Amino acid sequence: MTEFLQQLIIGLRLGSVYALVALGYTMVYGIIRLINFAHGDFIMVGGYTLYFTIPILLHQIGLPAWVGVLAAIVICALVGVAVELVAYRPVRKKGTSMSALITAIAMSLLLENLAQAIPAMGPNPRVISEEIFSTAPISIGGVSTNLASIMTILIAAVVMAALQLFVQKTKLGRAMRAVSENKEASTLVGINVNRTIVTTFAIGSGLAAVAALMYCAQYHTVTTTMGSMLGLKAFVAAVLGGIGLIPGAMLGGIVVGIIEALVTAYISSSLANAVVFLVLIVVLLVKPAGILGKNVGEKV
Amino acid sequence: MKMKRLIAFLLSLVMVLAFAACGSKDDAKPSDNAAGGDSDLSGQTILIGNITPMTGAQAAYGTAITNSIQMAIDEINEAGGILGATVELSSKDDQGTPAEAVSGFNALLSEDVTAIIGACLSSCTSAITSLADDEGVVLITPSSTADSITTEDDYVFRSCFKDSFQGEMVAAYAAEQGWTKAAILYATGDTYSSGLRDSFEKAADQYDIEIVCEQSTSDTGAVDFSSQLATIAASGADVLFAPYYYDAVGPKIIPQAREAGFTGAIMGCDGFDGTQDYTTGDLSAYENVFFTNHYSPEDPSETVQHYVTAYTDKYGSESLNALGALAYDAMYMLKQAIETAGSIDHDAIRDATSGMHYVGVTGDMTLDESGTPEKSVAIMSFAQADGKLVQKFVTTQG
Repeated sequence: MTEFLQQLIIGLRLGSVYALVALGYTMVYGIIRLINFAHGDFIMVGGYTLYFTIPILLHQIGLPAWVGVLAAIVICALVGVAVELVAYRPVRKKGTSMSALITAIAMSLLLENLAQAIPAMGPNPRVISEEIFSTAPISIGGVSTNLASIMTILIAAVVMAALQLFVQKTKLGRAMRAVSENKEASTLVGINVNRTIVTTFAIGSGLAAVAALMYCAQYHTVTTTMGSMLGLKAFVAAVLGGIGLIPGAMLGGIVVGIIEALVTAYISSSLANAVVFLVLIVVLLVKPAGILGKNVGEKV
Repeated sequence: MKMKRLIAFLLSLVMVLAFAACGSKDDAKPSDNAAGGDSDLSGQTILIGNITPMTGAQAAYGTAITNSIQMAIDEINEAGGILGATVELSSKDDQGTPAEAVSGFNALLSEDVTAIIGACLSSCTSAITSLADDEGVVLITPSSTADSITTEDDYVFRSCFKDSFQGEMVAAYAAEQGWTKAAILYATGDTYSSGLRDSFEKAADQYDIEIVCEQSTSDTGAVDFSSQLATIAASGADVLFAPYYYDAVGPKIIPQAREAGFTGAIMGCDGFDGTQDYTTGDLSAYENVFFTNHYSPEDPSETVQHYVTAYTDKYGSESLNALGALAYDAMYMLKQAIETAGSIDHDAIRDATSGMHYVGVTGDMTLDESGTPEKSVAIMSFAQADGKLVQKFVTTQG
């Protein structure tokens, strides 16, 4: 039983990170029907921001390392907004959803290769040797965990609750929901559609920065491709939960994380990824819109 | 529908990339720079090829290897070259991937190299061994320890020992320490990691070590090992054998193992070399870690000290690691072979390399019939010094 709880905690921690990243995919998809493949690379941007700011914060200013996430959120939001303004919006105006998708893949490759070309970042992995949250083991009733894991789960829960409140209760959140439902009608009721889309990008990318903090707290390394596998799994999580739905992304993320941990522990550690993708296929066959998705007929 | 189109697009992307990777094969041509049995090569140039990961996760290896070969070449040229001929180096970056190693190999062929030192990683070298045999070019790998790399009657040699020996030495050391319950964590998709796991498992049986738990990841680039390590910690093992490379060992496996509550010894092989530059958090986590290596920089012997001092003076101590020493030896092995052959004919060099006896930085060695040296291993561990992690020589095994 203790072992099961142990694996559940690990799954919950993995899932919290997936959920935060999946939120970024789902928000953008919900509002402009675009799978933003560059989202995983926003995590990388956040990771490097932390790599550069943490030593300054700790040794020169004397603030705790996690404060670096504020800088990361700002930088990620700026990069996210820039990508939307420079690449996605012009393509969306002229092209089809297919050309927008290809632009997203191009953006992803551009960001990764750009990072490799910058000497301070470069192709070699960089290690954040300072601890963001303590990783010293804490034992609770036989279950071994640490502050970094607890903080990961807590921060993810708080951020997700705040986001849900924001989308449901604020004016801007309502505007986001309206635009995702019908762009033309939103314009008619006086919503600035473009500004709403930019805000969505800023928030989604900011979430990637928070995910980067959790990644760095746990794995201590940043590489230029750190976002690709994480992004892919989070994308699976978003589709699994029902892409376009905020609660779906949260549920999908946690489910993917827990499946991964339990398969690793009880079936075979090398099969974890295979089972995650298998579950996705089964869910899509049974319920094509995802776990929480509703099958809606195509609007004509 | 949208999903289908997406998949079709991704598949075509993969195909395009696969074709792009094949592209450089076409310009390869068999080289013929046979110079006959003339033993004076003055005025000529001997071009040595080198394939290593100069970028990517294992870039630290590539840096040390390229620097060391260059250093050996500079020394050789200063001393009058090989049989009077000047030696030059052409290095290709394989980024740690087999596909790039193949393109690097083909590029070197088109430059008419005399012999090639490389590749570094076993997975990369195994991608080019058959090419070397087909083209008839001597390939000396400084660091690919997988058993399958060298076979009898081929053009492939190495200056390092092989994994079955390395895995056996780890098991022998563990048995000497009285550790009887071992856990294994390895990467199923990696030649080096899974080869070492096989040899350790075989040797464990010999030394009466019981394998109580076996866990794996699909490749060495995995980031989260906590599920696997939690199971290992619960298995009651007193030693964990984890054959991975430093970029996974330093920031991930060792800290995550200690976080999971595993307090036993963690053992690995030459892939652990370099871990000291990839540490994080509390350095006491790195205590009770042991690994096999090709030599110890602390060895007082004159050859070792000459190499360590010369390297440090030229490139600094940061990039110094055992693979560099092996590459340095590989270059001098080539020199000795060309001098014995008295020519730069590919087959003559091969015959001279086969079964050669050589004394270098990484020890006194004789190549066996497959082209792998028989020599001893150094058991190393880590210690803290001035808030930094340093390697510590423990003992020689075998």
